[in-house]
Amino acid sequence: MEALNNLMYGFGIALEPMNIAYVFFGVFAGTIIGMLPGLGPISALALMIPITFAMEPSSGLILMAGVYYGAIFGGSTSSILLNAPGVAGTVATSFDGYPMAKQGMAGKALAIAAYASFIGGTISIVFLMLVAPLLSKVAVSFGPAEYFALMVLGLTAVVSLSDKSLVKGLIAAVVGVMISIMGIDLQTGTERYTFGSAHLLDGIDFLVVALGIFALAEVFYMLLRGGGGKEQPRNAIGSLRLTRGEVKEIAGPIGRSSVLGFFTGVLPGAGATIGSFLGYSMEKRLAKDGDSFGKGNIKGVAAPESANNAACTGSFVPLLTLGVPGSGTTAVLLGALLVMGVTPGPMMLEQRPDVFWGVIASMYIGNIFLLVLNLPLIPLIARILDLPRPLLLSLILIFCMIGVYGMSFSVFDLLLLLGFGLLGLGMRLFGFPAAPLILALILGNIMEESMRRALQISGGDWMIFVEKPISLVLLVIALLSLVLPLARKALQRALA
Amino acid sequence: MTRLNSNQVLALVLALVALGYLAMAWQIKAFPLPRPIDSDLFPKVLGFTLLGLSLLLFIERPQAQDAPPAPDPEEQARPLLLRPWSRVVVSALAIAAYALLLVPLGFVLASTALGVGLTAYYGYRRHGVNLATVLGVVLALYLTMTRVMDVYLPTGVLPF
Repeated sequence: MEALNNLMYGFGIALEPMNIAYVFFGVFAGTIIGMLPGLGPISALALMIPITFAMEPSSGLILMAGVYYGAIFGGSTSSILLNAPGVAGTVATSFDGYPMAKQGMAGKALAIAAYASFIGGTISIVFLMLVAPLLSKVAVSFGPAEYFALMVLGLTAVVSLSDKSLVKGLIAAVVGVMISIMGIDLQTGTERYTFGSAHLLDGIDFLVVALGIFALAEVFYMLLRGGGGKEQPRNAIGSLRLTRGEVKEIAGPIGRSSVLGFFTGVLPGAGATIGSFLGYSMEKRLAKDGDSFGKGNIKGVAAPESANNAACTGSFVPLLTLGVPGSGTTAVLLGALLVMGVTPGPMMLEQRPDVFWGVIASMYIGNIFLLVLNLPLIPLIARILDLPRPLLLSLILIFCMIGVYGMSFSVFDLLLLLGFGLLGLGMRLFGFPAAPLILALILGNIMEESMRRALQISGGDWMIFVEKPISLVLLVIALLSLVLPLARKALQRALA
Repeated sequence: MTRLNSNQVLALVLALVALGYLAMAWQIKAFPLPRPIDSDLFPKVLGFTLLGLSLLLFIERPQAQDAPPAPDPEEQARPLLLRPWSRVVVSALAIAAYALLLVPLGFVLASTALGVGLTAYYGYRRHGVNLATVLGVVLALYLTMTRVMDVYLPTGVLPF
């Protein structure tokens, strides 16, 4: 009852006309920025800091929450239509969203993304409101050993979800971690794998690899398969409507992935990206038609989309209740709050209830705007597919270039992008899955940091990873996720 | 001597990469103060893991999906510059040229040249539509990035 009263108080703040306008503007601006490859929620939020500087803290955070949601959804449209995820959290959406678009079901994929984002966001807000303090305690009890085990589980889950060779999936993951640790080691200041180049001191940015491995490799692959020379028949956008059967089919995945996404988002470091991959992986395992994942299965769009939006909400838990940002995006949010003179933490609920509950209420409103704004725009957005194929391929190349250059202003990064595009093409031609490499790239640094911290605590004793019960359970699940598919295959072969 | 299959060739390449990676891991400088875990441990773990996985790949039989698709005979009959692999090579060279010319030429000129040139090379024959679309998109991106978002993009030879 108290939560309901507090929520009503929050709605009183969020429904002030100016705050409604801020939510609307935030969602709209976030969607547009998120659609541009290279500009994700972090850049979108960073761009908003100068605007929110002079605002009331509650209004400023309300605007930023809208931008955050919008950017994640915007990223899913470029994932689905162009296979060029604008945001890391929507990479998993492209696995089935893009094949759906190629089959003339772009409208349906975008509509599912909009509904799943809406429901994922809404369910997770309820969780945020009710169980935030409890969840934050659980997340805080995770030490470095548990974190390392969680990262290992995240990686093995993605490797095992690939329908390609398990060994090749693991190789892709190891290469991803290798790329992630290039540059200066932040703990010791030692250079690693920079080949003496100053450009590599800061490591390789995620975006360069993601755009290369996914978007550029896709362009090269289409060129190899004859996508250039002749004009392709135009893809139909297809209907936005879902049949009753389809609604029934995606209801379960959306519900499950929303809960999973929220819990993933609460854990520091494990945000929308890991949430979406885990949601996708879980649904692929649970589905009877798991084989059709990656080929345009509607559940493969619904699961990551609901999970990534839910994870966005989840990542507000440690930020609002502990003052600890769980991701790069919430770190920017924390910075913005500090600029506005608000220090998030356990006392915030008592000292600034207007900010806490105003933000939660504005999330409900932001979600509704997200749906209202994006559904009517889908036919317009999906017309990108009507472009003649040669023109589309060239434009994707330009989008990739501007995405990378606009972030790093480095010609070297453009050449790296080309290198990763060719690597992605090679991986595709020889059956190496790209998803484990991308996830490993995101997790690699955190994984190493957690492993080193844990080993430093134990004085170099590796048993720390199995002596801690949570870590042990997570590692056993990780091992099972690799062994079980192999055992199942062996059993099937023996029975045949 | 039996011919190596695609997985075995890849495994040998990856094993060489792993060995090179390990050799570099041993050259990582030690931290001046003694620590239980130093910067070289994780790379060594990764190098040995990749080496082990290369071995597993060597003994794994390639599946049908692991080999590049056979070239289309109709595509192979085209002039050399228009064949599928030539398209990839020319596009890659165009991207490299774009990267090197972006600053001296400026974003608008370099991007328009890349877009219009590649679209025409890929076989689109309506050159007016090509130029108008690419220039429109490039200008829209340029103005959004520079005027709205305050992101600097090189102007090059153009005055704006």
